[in-house]
Amino acid sequence: MRRLAGEVFRQASAVGISLFGLLAITFFIGRMLPLDPVIAVIGDDAPQSTYDMVYRELGLDRPLWEQFAIYVGKVLQGDFGVALNTSNRVADDLLRVFPATVELATVSIIIGVGLGIPFGVIAAVHRGKMIDHIVRVVGLIGYSAPNFWLGLMGLVVFYAMLGWVGGPGRVSVFYIDMIEPRTGFLLIDSLLENEPDVFWSAVEHIILPASILGYSSTAYIARMTRSFMLEQLSQEYVITARVKGLSRARVVWRHAFPNIMVQLVTVIALAYAFLLEGAVLTETVFAWPGFGRYLTLGLLAGDMNVVLACTLIVGLTFIVLNLISDILYRLLDPRTR
Amino acid sequence: MLRARTILLAASAALAVSCMTAEAQTRTPRDALVMAWNIDAILTMDPAQIGEVVTDEIVNNVCDQLIAFEPDDSNKLLPGLAERWDISEDGKTYTFHLRRGLKHPSGNPVTAEDAAWSIRRVMWLGFGNAATLGQWGLVADTIEEQVRALDEHTLQVTVPEAWPPSLFLSVFAGRQGIVLDRKAIEPHFGTRTDGKPDHGNAWLRSNLACVGPYRLTRWTASDTVILERNPGHWRGEPPMRRIIIRHIPESAAQRLLLERGDVDIARDLNGEDSAGVDAHANLRLLSALRQQLWYITANMDDPIAGNADVRMALRWLIDYRGLERTVMRYAGRAWNSFAPQGAFGALPPEEGVPFGLDLDKARAHLAKAGHPNGFTIRLIHGSGFPYPDIVQHLQGNAAKVGIRIELEQMAYSQVISRTRDKNFALAISAWTPGYEDADANAIRHIYNPDPRPEAKQTMYLSWRAGYYDPSMNEAVMAARRERDPEQRILMYHAMQRRFMQEGPFIYAFQQVRLLAVGPALKDIRQSARRVAYNTAVK
Repeated sequence: MRRLAGEVFRQASAVGISLFGLLAITFFIGRMLPLDPVIAVIGDDAPQSTYDMVYRELGLDRPLWEQFAIYVGKVLQGDFGVALNTSNRVADDLLRVFPATVELATVSIIIGVGLGIPFGVIAAVHRGKMIDHIVRVVGLIGYSAPNFWLGLMGLVVFYAMLGWVGGPGRVSVFYIDMIEPRTGFLLIDSLLENEPDVFWSAVEHIILPASILGYSSTAYIARMTRSFMLEQLSQEYVITARVKGLSRARVVWRHAFPNIMVQLVTVIALAYAFLLEGAVLTETVFAWPGFGRYLTLGLLAGDMNVVLACTLIVGLTFIVLNLISDILYRLLDPRTR
Repeated sequence: MLRARTILLAASAALAVSCMTAEAQTRTPRDALVMAWNIDAILTMDPAQIGEVVTDEIVNNVCDQLIAFEPDDSNKLLPGLAERWDISEDGKTYTFHLRRGLKHPSGNPVTAEDAAWSIRRVMWLGFGNAATLGQWGLVADTIEEQVRALDEHTLQVTVPEAWPPSLFLSVFAGRQGIVLDRKAIEPHFGTRTDGKPDHGNAWLRSNLACVGPYRLTRWTASDTVILERNPGHWRGEPPMRRIIIRHIPESAAQRLLLERGDVDIARDLNGEDSAGVDAHANLRLLSALRQQLWYITANMDDPIAGNADVRMALRWLIDYRGLERTVMRYAGRAWNSFAPQGAFGALPPEEGVPFGLDLDKARAHLAKAGHPNGFTIRLIHGSGFPYPDIVQHLQGNAAKVGIRIELEQMAYSQVISRTRDKNFALAISAWTPGYEDADANAIRHIYNPDPRPEAKQTMYLSWRAGYYDPSMNEAVMAARRERDPEQRILMYHAMQRRFMQEGPFIYAFQQVRLLAVGPALKDIRQSARRVAYNTAVK
């Protein structure tokens, strides 16, 4: 019991120190950037007295270390300050933009895993054959083509020409303002409010950006799956199983695949974390009110409240996903039990 | 590397979009006007604080002003919330008679006390709009005597000098003339961090309480703005029940939405997408000249830029008409004077662009300036359109006469900071005057109340540029005191001809507002100031 408590304490303090370090580095780098947040608030034509007043209001007249200490103190009380770009409390903004990104990232990763793993396994099994090359080329395109470009192409073909999917935005203009956000996940909120039309409109709108983002994850996951699988397939136990007369499918899926699951968990967690950071260009093309764009706009305006809070979220996301994969390791790998 | 890749991407995307031949359709609600617009710039809805284009348009469509104007001519003043006004014989006291029976959406009556308070709080809060009122002699400390409610329907404004009436009245046709519902806002009064009262500023960041054709029902930052028709508006109910503004930052995405009929108006199309819409059978482009000018500021304290002949040489190095036909085709018109076209007192169009690309003239001025072989100078500029296009054009032409222009690109807000700090040699930026009168820019671009660097008169572009000419200061003030309109026009014409030769600014273009409109929208009117949502008909 004491060992467990010690372990928890060690983990928690490691997390705390990482987050503090992350905050400190972001804060001081941010303050060194030649950006003037005051202009963003007061506009170009305000007199100097207004400038000075807002400068003081933002606390910019205090020494850097004092600004940082005040900020950390407030964060510990759950106050992330006000965002200059939106005039809202940063915490409220995050409750709006982060779910939008989580929703998009989750659908994307489902697509990425659903396609990436089978493709990777098939490519490994048929190594060097036509299907392997096809998977590799399609994967390479997905991995290297910029999402911004893919997004626009997708809109041109599937939205404008074929009309199969919804356009930019999260929902059709007819349903804007119909759903009161409860969880912030439109797919869930629309079902909670029993609005199937809104739900389907949301599905229509998420499917294209999620597929674009999912495509690049698919490429990454398929490539990694293929190489993990190749390693397993060359092991002696696989040859033994085949010699014993087991079918190829059984050998691949029942014997070899479970052995790569631990490695795959890391890959998937990383791909998911990457998606959760928010894909600013995809969000821009699809007018998706997500986390990546929020962070980028904050950064461009020199809005440190936004940048710091977002950095914390990204840090936390990685830490949480790390913890989850640790737990999954233990479940998946009998040796760690 | 990153730049090359971005250009390549943008080009291929544009190509693909332009290959589209989809028929324009109509799929928006019949009683709603849907616009695609980049609304990132909205920071607050408080009329006392707003300054930039997007919010100014939205707020002025939600709140009526004391004085209105023709929806397609902001120079033609009309009665607004004030049905008439009188001016005292000495020309210093304005009495506004408010319409009777007006009610805010809350049900509270619209009173002269509301109007007085709305103007006072602009001064008390002290944002850029206070500076506009301050130019007429309104002062925060005495504002309660200067702006008073005589009774429930009569508002009196007293200024220390007899300004030309049309000039002073036009101030109240914009955000300074908005009448807020004080009773509805009062419960939300707070305090600022310095302990002073905020007069509702914090609450008005995301709310509005005023009488007007529409009500603001929702603003979600970087997502949507929704306006709902105000039933029983005194001017008559507007045809559209709802105005839905969708935040679509990408030009190509806006165009696709317009072509699919999922929006009625696209507001931020770039040149290529505008050309696409222009060529489209079912879509239209509606344009109006805005008052915003793009110009290069030369710092007079810089040993090179401070030379009048150097500035003249630079003026002869831009092909204004050529750019107008190409890069600026859907964005602006060539214009070389401080008074934009359409403003009272502006030069006639044939006199507005005396400069052009002329390398010989540029060389002659360089020789006169004592730099026959050119010089090296730094020009700071923002990264957004059209700054890189204009400065690269200038850089290329300047190189032909031996001037090496070093370009330094940065965030636009940083360009503003640098000019406010006088920390630049050349800088390019944009400026929108507060009203459609040559005076609006004369008072900020030419007039300089105190040229000393420590005076920090940062709201005066003349101060930022280090330009100070007592005789021009007098000319600006004389024109502003001249009550004969014909005479005033002549004074501005003379001032413009002189300032475009001697001044620190190289005015290049005047902005065009372009509305890309889908087939469902039959009519909508716009003026230099704004698009009038209540004129939209489907």
